[in-house]
Amino acid sequence: MLLSKGPQSMFAASFGAVTAALTLAMQSLAMADGPITLWYQRGGNPEQQRILQKDLVAPFNAAHPTTPLILDVRSGSNGDKQIRMAVISGKGPDIVMTPGPSTTLALVQAGHLLPLDDYIKKYNLDKRILAPVLKTGEYKGHNYALPRTFETMVLYYNKTLFDKNGWTPPKSIAELNALAEAMQARNITPFSVGNADWRAANEWHVSVVLNHYAGPENIYKALKGEIPWTDPVFVQAIDLLKNWYQKGWFGKNYFSLTSDQEALLLAKGEAGMAPNGTFSFDNMVAAFKQTGQELGVAALPSLRDGVPYPTYAIGTGSTMSINKHSADPDSAGAFLDYLYSDAFYDLISADWPGDWNLPLTSIDEAKLAKNVSPLFAATVTSFSKAVAQGNFGYTTWTFWPPATEDYLIHGIEQVWLGQISTDDYLNKMQETFAKEMSDGKVPPLAAR
Amino acid sequence: MPFLMPALAINIVIILIPALLTIAMAFVEWDGVSIPTFVGLDNFYTIFGDPVFFWALLNNIKWTLIFLTIPIAIGLVAGSLLLLVRRGRTFFQTVYFLPVIIATVVIARIWQGMIYNPESGLVGWLKLYGLVLSDPLALPPSALYAVASVDLWHWWGFLAVVFFAALRQVDVTQIDAAMLDGANYLQLMRYVLLPAIRPTIILMMIMTVIWSFLVFDFVYVLTQGGPAYSSEVLSTLSYRYAFYDFKIGPAAAVALVVSFFGLIATVFYVRIQQREDD
Repeated sequence: MLLSKGPQSMFAASFGAVTAALTLAMQSLAMADGPITLWYQRGGNPEQQRILQKDLVAPFNAAHPTTPLILDVRSGSNGDKQIRMAVISGKGPDIVMTPGPSTTLALVQAGHLLPLDDYIKKYNLDKRILAPVLKTGEYKGHNYALPRTFETMVLYYNKTLFDKNGWTPPKSIAELNALAEAMQARNITPFSVGNADWRAANEWHVSVVLNHYAGPENIYKALKGEIPWTDPVFVQAIDLLKNWYQKGWFGKNYFSLTSDQEALLLAKGEAGMAPNGTFSFDNMVAAFKQTGQELGVAALPSLRDGVPYPTYAIGTGSTMSINKHSADPDSAGAFLDYLYSDAFYDLISADWPGDWNLPLTSIDEAKLAKNVSPLFAATVTSFSKAVAQGNFGYTTWTFWPPATEDYLIHGIEQVWLGQISTDDYLNKMQETFAKEMSDGKVPPLAAR
Repeated sequence: MPFLMPALAINIVIILIPALLTIAMAFVEWDGVSIPTFVGLDNFYTIFGDPVFFWALLNNIKWTLIFLTIPIAIGLVAGSLLLLVRRGRTFFQTVYFLPVIIATVVIARIWQGMIYNPESGLVGWLKLYGLVLSDPLALPPSALYAVASVDLWHWWGFLAVVFFAALRQVDVTQIDAAMLDGANYLQLMRYVLLPAIRPTIILMMIMTVIWSFLVFDFVYVLTQGGPAYSSEVLSTLSYRYAFYDFKIGPAAAVALVVSFFGLIATVFYVRIQQREDD
């Protein structure tokens, strides 16, 4: 109808010609050297974005002017979903950042991520990244994801408060019980914890009792399907966590406290200790700076004879992969080389240590201490050494399959509030886990 | 006919096709990434076998009952007052409507951090004066009602403005006659104003039922359905199935249940309209 009339058909024809020309031009642009993209999935305030531009983007772009990196910072709460959607529709960034191995696994199984073995060999990444952590990105003999945030659960404590009362960080469950009792007698909350701004904080505490009471050996067996989650050692571990909550060790406001408030309560001395991740280091330091008291960090105590001290549960808080549909995987590989370099680590550990703790083999306390507080340097080095020696555990957000992890987070609230029993909780966990295991959804396991 | 094409095309692409896809997804097993496999009614068995589904459904029903009564009552009173009181009308209309236009996330964070919070909020401030209240968001029995209160605060202004607009259509002579006859406020409402705007009230009630089954943002931002699933609603359940468990099938099945209730409400509305036309 439109094309039959004279001027309109001219218009349509010329419009078509222009569109065709533009499309051809854009295609040829895409084939040439072009930027590579990274969508940063954890969100960042303006200061943090400035740090990323200064330390991550600018030096790489200076060294690779024809294939610069374009950084797109996505909101922390749904950046991961946006990345996932984009990647599975065949588009998305060249460098795919995910919140952990269980998310990456689904993308790998559907063939959206490139195997990284060639780049690992080319840049010697297997010598530069700690082996057990590198293994968390392996699937069917190939490596698809490099671990970015190397994290663990530690025990933060108020050193000023401890010194005043003559207390020392607990190494065993007996010491922990005595300490908590002494604190409660003085109206001090033993653990400053809460989940108001991050409901998944529940799984930090489940990780703590599973790793430090049940122990990494038993977790390994359960994740491999050799023993069920209803095994007595796990029942006792969850019972212990239930008792902590019901005895008031978590205070009265667990469901209302945000991470800033938890840090501040600890820094004011109204709470004595806080089991939290190394990712919260910056938060703790900022709070203690406000109150002028001294922060202490120690390994979590062994909660049962038979679990060695210190044990550190490995967490891979986020991973980096290359999109299968990337137009320039080699440049993406070069970026990964920069990401795991000492040069980058030197820059980022001075500006933003907690979140950017890369699992490098070259981490050395003396070198680190130049950039970060001696406390952080000591913590990180102790953690790396323990892992290198095989003394590591498994955090739930890295090694559990997705639906089991989700149930773990919400179900424990029912246990704490007395709505279901520990047996019910672990039965449901085992049921969910068994189904996901048979569907092949359990993330790769770092062998012992 | 050609003038309908753009609107029709948009409707088909943005509404019809995704709706059909959602219906199809309710009958497959899919993790959102790999290839879906047909599983018949399995997803429905899954959700009906999940106790959380029934708690969520009950919460949606409670939410509907709350929103069918409280904001509509307040909205009617406020709307009628806006009609009867001439001075300050524009000012109050604006004030009542302001909460509606503030972003839901902002409102949720303000209530969570500045009002309900036992450390930094109003609740915490009252503690300093000896009035110890707990954070209602943190207790299972009160969590849903705490979230509903926030949404009520955000919502009733909208109804007030809608009812006021409808009331302005009422014939002024009827109101004057009633007042001349000596009717007080309650009698005016009962015999003149409410019957006059009955179609609007019914429409708002139907929309409230539909929107109550869709409710998501305040629950998600304030409590994510917790603690211990006490404030879980069907849409947050669907969201968790889809984006945390990576099980699209049950998520779509829950979405169909939500649509089913919306459909019932719509059928009622059409029936009532037809009866009025007769």
